[in-house]
Amino acid sequence: MPTVTLVQAINMALDEELRRDERVLILGEDVGRRGGVFLATEGLQQKYGPDRVMDTPLSEAAILGAAVGLAAHGMRPVAEIQFADYVFPGIDQLFSQAAKLRYRSGGQFTAPMVVRMPSGGGVKGGHHHSQSPEAHFAHTPGLKVVVVSTPYDAKGLLKSAIRDDDPVVFMEPKRLYRAVKEEVPTDEYLLPIGKAAVRREGRDITLVSYGGPMVETLKAAEEMAAAGVEAEVIDLRTVLPWDKEAVLASVVKTGRLLVVSEAPRTASIASEVAATVSEELFDQLLAPPLRVTGFDTPYPLAQDKLYMPTVTRILNAAKRLLDY
Amino acid sequence: MVQERAAFPTFSQEPIRLIDPDGRWVAPFPHGLSAQELRRFYRDMLAARLLDEKLVVLVRTGKTSFIAPHAGHEAAQVGIAHALQRGHDWLFPYYRDLGLVLAMGVPLPEIFGQTLGNAADPAKGRQMPSHPGSRSLNIFTVCSAIASHIPPAVGAAISMKLRRTGQVAVCTFGDGATSEGDWHAGVNFAAVQRAPVVFVCENNRYAISVNIAQQTASENIAIKAKAYGIPGYHVDGLDVLASYSVVRYAVERARAGEGPSLVELVVHRFGPHSSADDDTRYKSKEELSAERRQDPLLRYQRFLEREGLWDAQWANELRLEIAKELEAALQEAQAAGEPDPLQMFDDVFAARPWHLEEQRRLLAEELEA
Ligand SMILES: Cc1ncc(C[n+]2csc(CCOP(=O)(O)OP(=O)(O)O)c2C)c(N)n1
Repeated sequence: MPTVTLVQAINMALDEELRRDERVLILGEDVGRRGGVFLATEGLQQKYGPDRVMDTPLSEAAILGAAVGLAAHGMRPVAEIQFADYVFPGIDQLFSQAAKLRYRSGGQFTAPMVVRMPSGGGVKGGHHHSQSPEAHFAHTPGLKVVVVSTPYDAKGLLKSAIRDDDPVVFMEPKRLYRAVKEEVPTDEYLLPIGKAAVRREGRDITLVSYGGPMVETLKAAEEMAAAGVEAEVIDLRTVLPWDKEAVLASVVKTGRLLVVSEAPRTASIASEVAATVSEELFDQLLAPPLRVTGFDTPYPLAQDKLYMPTVTRILNAAKRLLDY
Repeated sequence: MVQERAAFPTFSQEPIRLIDPDGRWVAPFPHGLSAQELRRFYRDMLAARLLDEKLVVLVRTGKTSFIAPHAGHEAAQVGIAHALQRGHDWLFPYYRDLGLVLAMGVPLPEIFGQTLGNAADPAKGRQMPSHPGSRSLNIFTVCSAIASHIPPAVGAAISMKLRRTGQVAVCTFGDGATSEGDWHAGVNFAAVQRAPVVFVCENNRYAISVNIAQQTASENIAIKAKAYGIPGYHVDGLDVLASYSVVRYAVERARAGEGPSLVELVVHRFGPHSSADDDTRYKSKEELSAERRQDPLLRYQRFLEREGLWDAQWANELRLEIAKELEAALQEAQAAGEPDPLQMFDDVFAARPWHLEEQRRLLAEELEA
């Protein structure tokens, strides 16, 4: 079993799916000859040719819109948006076309496509290479939204996304691309969209996170363990539909919920999880659910480290919950 | 119809015209169409006109909320419909295309069902009127967002090219649509890919109230193709045989692997932009009546008369026959009744995730109470 980075696992998944199904095709800016700016598609054009790993004009509207038409006509396009921050010129294609095609046609037409995008901060990229726009997508009925945090998950979830019959926004925290290595089977496996992973079991407090801040969340849990507090850590992996069952089961056990995300707080996934837990488990909670999130500012460059959820901030919030 | 390529000039200043306003065939080649085919064009144009009139009545009598009238576009729309291989090629229409989708073969009860938003609508009453679509006829369901269907048409055409299906995608839109970014993004990508797609502009020179002079400084719409390296054809869209012949030529050119083209069909919009619009606020009486004097049906009638294929009795019988069909289809659609309210939660995804299940249950309980 090879030990690979997250971006290599993405490459493995794409390679396997291109080989398995000739309807699968990749399109995006610089994905072909260069293999993508992060090298997620490295070597694939050489292997599958320029029609199946297609360099497109510099136009997110063209990329996403063409993906809708390709999908409606029977292909399985995987569109790459070079940075999540640059999805906005193509957002109408995602929101008005991809997300609503099945609905507006009464199920006559569908857009089974994947939109991959490196997301999140932590790479000194300023606000146009650092955003976490998952809430926009989750707020648009008709899109599924996956945010991965490990190489193993990245491969299994990307393959599932490509086979899914609905449009899936697949977010890849760019700061994790080469941060972690993990054994990833070369054999076929699929992970279900909509299922969270319990990364660590515990009975005192539930920490829910996804994507980039999984790193800080797990570190915080380790420090808590050293201090005798057993935190249960849940990686949502899919933020729409998110795994309510897994979160509720954990909070029933711990009575305390802390949600960690680097996206801006207001109208966020973190808020959604916290609100749902409050609604459903009000009488079983030992303390009000808390959120540690990015601030409601544009993503700053100079204060990059202050903006992101830190281990200290997570520990402080956890302490508030435990001392409540 | 056998056409020499040179017969249709690209980027002409004068619109390409085969029948003049007096109904004279003015092209230097024969039309090559049978009497039956020529009369079929007339029937489809008349049906389109009568459908439009019927829809206007439905709005006036409060049976539906909205309609985007297509009167004045009939020659263009019927020409387009006949130019593609129905059921094989794909059509990506816009909201003013009910005459076009009717000529493509969408059954009238479906058109009325969509207009009424009831159970007769194959799209389950999900969208406002004038938003048709048909899976079986490869008619991509209309999306309100102007020009948002251009890139999808290009994507479908790329799929047709890659899989060598021998199909062509035809994409229609108004003049206003050519100002949207997605229009340019789509046309550019299609040209780079040499995708089998034909972009057809039904240029009525108005986008709601905005005149073409405020829309673009280009000399016409067709010329925009030049910047993308594809042919552009400037056509008299009040001439059904010119519309048909040029679109057909562009479609077959695309099918032969020669790439996309842009066809501009210059038409009039006889009605207001929509039933919610008042066109007298921005069109003078003189302009309106001058436009209406250039009726595409009348021009084609004159042509048929010259060909010995039109007489008043035949036309009246045809009119009655179509009127009957329209009324019967409307009755059929009205009988379908309201769609099941819980269908609201279907087709968001292939299967309902838990959150939609929960929300559906909430509404079901409310409806039962
Ligand atoms: C993206 C977008 N912006 C604005 C509108 C509102 N709108 C609907 S139709 C229309 C005018 C379109 O004119 P044109 O493309 O020339 O087509 P026509 O209606 O004349 O056939 C506008 C502005 C819309 N539907 N979509």
